[in-house]
Amino acid sequence: MLEAFEILTTSGVVLWSKTYAPVGSHVINSLINDVFIEEKVVPQGASAGVSPIFKKEKYTLKWKRVKEFNLIFVAVYQSLLHLGWIDRLLENISTIFIDLYKDQLKGNRTRITAYRFDPYFEQQVRELEDNTGSVAETYPAETGEKKDPLVLSDNGGPPPPPVPGLMKAQPQAALAGATSDEGTPLATPDTSRSSTPVGHILAGKAGPGGRLSRRAKKLQNVSSNASSGDETSRKGKAPKGSAKKGRKWDASGYADEDDGEILDYSAPADDAEPAAPAVEAISQDDWGRRTGKGQFVLKELGDEVHDILDNADAEKSKGNASSGIVGSGFNAVGGFFRNIVGGKTLTEADLQKPLKAMEDHLLKKNVAREAAVRLCEGVERELVGKKTANFQSVDTALHIAMEASLRKMLTPTSSLDLLREINAVTAPTTKQHAPRPYVMSIVGVNGVGKSTNLSKICFFLLQNKYKVLIAACDTFRSGAVEQLRVHARNLKELSVRDGAGDIELYEKGYGKDAANVAKDAVDYAAAHKFDVVLIDTAGRRHNDQRLMSSLEKFAKFANPDKIFMVGEALVGTDSVMQARNFNAAFGTGRNLDGFIISKCDTVGDMVGTLVSMVHATGIPIVFLGVGQHYGDLRGLSVPWAVSLLMK
Amino acid sequence: MSSQAGWNSVTGIATKLLDGSPLAIAIAILIAFGVPVFLHIVFYRAAASPPSSNFLLLGPSGAGKTAFTTLLEAKSSPASKKSQLTHTSQASTLVSVSLPPTVPTASNRYRSVNDPSLKDASRNPIRYCLKDTPGHGKLRTSQGISELQSMSSSKDVKTKIRGLLFMVDTAALVDEACLRDAASYLHDVLLVLQKRSMGKGKSSTKREAEIPVLIAANKQDLFTSLPPGSVREKLEAEIDRIRKSKTKGLMDASMDTGLETEEDVLGDDDAQGVFTFKLLEQVGIKVDVVGGAVKGDPQEEFGSGVRRWEEWIGMCL
Repeated sequence: MLEAFEILTTSGVVLWSKTYAPVGSHVINSLINDVFIEEKVVPQGASAGVSPIFKKEKYTLKWKRVKEFNLIFVAVYQSLLHLGWIDRLLENISTIFIDLYKDQLKGNRTRITAYRFDPYFEQQVRELEDNTGSVAETYPAETGEKKDPLVLSDNGGPPPPPVPGLMKAQPQAALAGATSDEGTPLATPDTSRSSTPVGHILAGKAGPGGRLSRRAKKLQNVSSNASSGDETSRKGKAPKGSAKKGRKWDASGYADEDDGEILDYSAPADDAEPAAPAVEAISQDDWGRRTGKGQFVLKELGDEVHDILDNADAEKSKGNASSGIVGSGFNAVGGFFRNIVGGKTLTEADLQKPLKAMEDHLLKKNVAREAAVRLCEGVERELVGKKTANFQSVDTALHIAMEASLRKMLTPTSSLDLLREINAVTAPTTKQHAPRPYVMSIVGVNGVGKSTNLSKICFFLLQNKYKVLIAACDTFRSGAVEQLRVHARNLKELSVRDGAGDIELYEKGYGKDAANVAKDAVDYAAAHKFDVVLIDTAGRRHNDQRLMSSLEKFAKFANPDKIFMVGEALVGTDSVMQARNFNAAFGTGRNLDGFIISKCDTVGDMVGTLVSMVHATGIPIVFLGVGQHYGDLRGLSVPWAVSLLMK
Repeated sequence: MSSQAGWNSVTGIATKLLDGSPLAIAIAILIAFGVPVFLHIVFYRAAASPPSSNFLLLGPSGAGKTAFTTLLEAKSSPASKKSQLTHTSQASTLVSVSLPPTVPTASNRYRSVNDPSLKDASRNPIRYCLKDTPGHGKLRTSQGISELQSMSSSKDVKTKIRGLLFMVDTAALVDEACLRDAASYLHDVLLVLQKRSMGKGKSSTKREAEIPVLIAANKQDLFTSLPPGSVREKLEAEIDRIRKSKTKGLMDASMDTGLETEEDVLGDDDAQGVFTFKLLEQVGIKVDVVGGAVKGDPQEEFGSGVRRWEEWIGMCL
C-alpha cells in the first residue's frame, strides 16, 4: 500500500501531500540530500517511462521531476511491496496536477494556494489499484478487461448463503419500492450497499448476453431490493451515464469510435430494465470500496481526470506527429535564429553536439571517461526542456550548467577544518568525552606518495605545536620504515629549529601484522599524551582482494578518526576504480573521509582526477600535494579547480 | 498643392501648424493633458517604490528557514492560515510578505501614537521581500553567500539588501557538529559583510547603509533548546575557535597561481582577543540574537512565535 504521496517544490515547500501512514520527513529529506543535492546515489532504472527508485530504511521512494514548474512528485511505499502502478500514478498525477493548477503554479502565489487535490488523487489511486495484477501496456484497455473476469467469477459461483436472509429482511422495502424507483424512507439502503453478497449477485450485469436472462430473473426477485435504495439508484444513474463517457478514451487512448465494444455490458443493461443502473452502482461499491455518496463525486472526477490525461496524450502524439518536411524546415530556421537570440527551448537533439564536445574537453582534462559521461548526462537531464536566456547560445548555457555542476560536486557538504577537529578531540569542551589522541591514517596504491604526504601533514601539524606520533605500519615493503625514520629525523630537526611541536616515530620492524602495530601505536600515544597519531600503511593494489581485505581489520583495530586516501593526479581512468575499491574496503559503516591528491604540480591544468575521484564516491578532497617540500600541501579551492577544468 | 508646399518650407510648417486643422488641435490637446499625466505617473511610481526592503534569510540546513518563509507568507495572505510542511530546499525563492500592522516600524518611530495617519498605515501593511536560501553545505556558496555578495554590492535600489536574518536551530546547537557547521557558515557570512564595509570605508567617504544581522534563534518551543543568550555565547566561542584555526590553517591551492586574495580575519586584525559580536560594531555590523519559534504553541495565536523577529524587521524598515 502507498504510504505517502507528496508534491513539493525545489524550494522545499510541500504543496500538497497525502499520508496513509506516518512517514518521517527525514525520509524525503534524505532523498533530496542524497539524490538531488549531493548526487551520492545514482538513481536506478532512470530510463524512459520508469521512475527512478531510492531506498531509505524500509521505504522505497519513486519520484518524478517536472522542471518547468520546479516540482517534484514523490511516492513513498514499503519496500516489501511491489506496486507496479506507482510509475503510472506518478505520471498521471503530475499531468493532472499541472493541468489543474497551471495558472497558480505560474503565478507567484504558488505556495499559499490551497490545493484541493485529494479527490483527484483518490480517484487515481483507486483506479490504478483496481487495475493491478498485470502490468499492461495501456491501462485504459486494462480497465475494461479487468472488470470482466471479476464479474464472471462473481456470477459463476453459487449464490452466497446470506442472500435469502437478506431478501427476507427487506420485505417492506420490496413492497414499497417495487413500483417506483423513488422508493420510500423505509428502505434500507445501508444494508443493500454494504452487504457484499447482494452486490456479488447483482454484479451479473456485466456478463455477456447469455447471463443476462439469469440476471434478469434474479433482478425480478431482487428488483425491490435494488430499487429500495432510492438514493443509490438515483446516484447510480449519474455514474452510469458518465461511465459511458469515461469509456470513450478507454478504447485506444483517444479514439471514441470503439465505444460500443467496451460498453457492451452496459448497453444490454440499458435495454433490459431501468433498474439496471442501480445494480451496477451497488456492485461497483463492492469492488471499489466506495460509499454511495463518494461514488457520485468520483465518477464525475473520473471524467475530468480522463479528459486531462487524454489531452496530454493527444498533445504528446501530436508533438510526435508534426515532423513534416515543412515543419522541420521551419523549426530548423527558427532554431538557428533562436540559438543566436536566446529563448530557445533546449531539446536532446540540440544538446547532442555540444555535449559531445564538452565530453571530449573533459576527457582531455584527464577526467575518467565514466565520470565525464555521467557528468554530461546529468547536465543534459538538467538542461533538456529549459529555455536559454536572452542572447545566450546553447554552448554558453551548457558551459554554465557544467560549471555549476562541477562546482556543486567539488564543494564538500561540510568543510573540513582539521585543526579544529583535532582540538575538539584532544581538548574537548564538554566533560563527557575524555581527551584522547586524534588518529589519522593514510591509504593508497603503491607509489602515489603516502609517506610523503603523511610527512607533509605532520609538518603542518608540528607548525601548529602538536605532539605527533608517526606509526610505521608498512611492515611489508623493505625500506619503508627507514624512509619514515628519515622523514621523522628531518621533521624533528625542523621543529626544534622553529620551536614547534614534538614528533616521535613508532616502529615495530617488518613482518608484523599492521593492524596490531597500529593498535599498539594508538595505545602508546594515549599513554604518552600525544595529540595526533599518523598511521602510514603499506601501498596496495586496489583490485587485489587479499591485500585489500586486511584494511577492514586495520580500520577496526586502529579505529582512525580520519582515513585519507592518497591518489595521484597523474592517474587517468583507473582513479574511479581506485577510489571505489578503497572506499568499500573498510567494511560496512566505515568509508574514506577524504582524498589527498598528490603530484598536482606535475599535471598543469589537467586536474581531472579530482573530478573522477569525487564523482565516484562523493567523498571530498581534503588536501592537494603541489610540490616536493614539506610545506607544499594545500587545501582545495573549488573556484580554482573549476576554472582550470573549464579553461 | 498648398499642403505639399506647406511642409517644405519652415514658414509653411509654421503656418500649417497654426491653422486650425483638427489634427493639430488634437495633438495639442493630447500633449497638454498627456504630459502632466505622464510626469505624474513617472514621479509617482518612483516615489511609491520604497528604497529597498529586501531581507536575506541564511542559515544551516534544518534551521527552519523555509518554514519561516511559508509561515510569513501564510500570515500575510488573507486566505490560508496554515503554514505548509517543508523539506530541504534546493533552490532559493523570493517571496513578498507584509508586516502585520501592529508591528512598529522604524519610519514610524517618531510619530505620536495618536497620529491619525497611523490608522491609514495599518490599513496598508508594509510589504517587504524575503529571500529564502538553501542551507545545505553544497549549495551555500553557490546560492547563499553569492546571493549575499550580489545583493550587498548592488547599486540598484530594487535589489539592495536591507537586513540579514541568520537562522539557527537552538535545539541542535547542543551537538558539537551542528554548532561547528552553523558557526562556520555564520563566520563566512560575517566575513563577507566585514569585507564589504571595510572596502567601502576605504574607497568612498560616504558610507554605505549598514546591513544589520539578526541571529534568529529558532525552535525555542522545544524543551532542549538553548536560550538566546546562550546561543550567542556558544556562537561567539565557536567563531573564535574558527578564527584561530583559520589563521593557522593551510593555504588554498589558488594562492599559488598569483590570484592575490587577502585572507581576512573577522573582528580585530590580529585575532588576539576573544571574539564577540561587539567587535563587529566597529565596522558597522550590528548583530542581534533574538529567540523565537516558527512552530509555536497551538493554543497561541497563529504565528505568534515569530513576532519578535518581525519587530526586528520592522525596525529595519
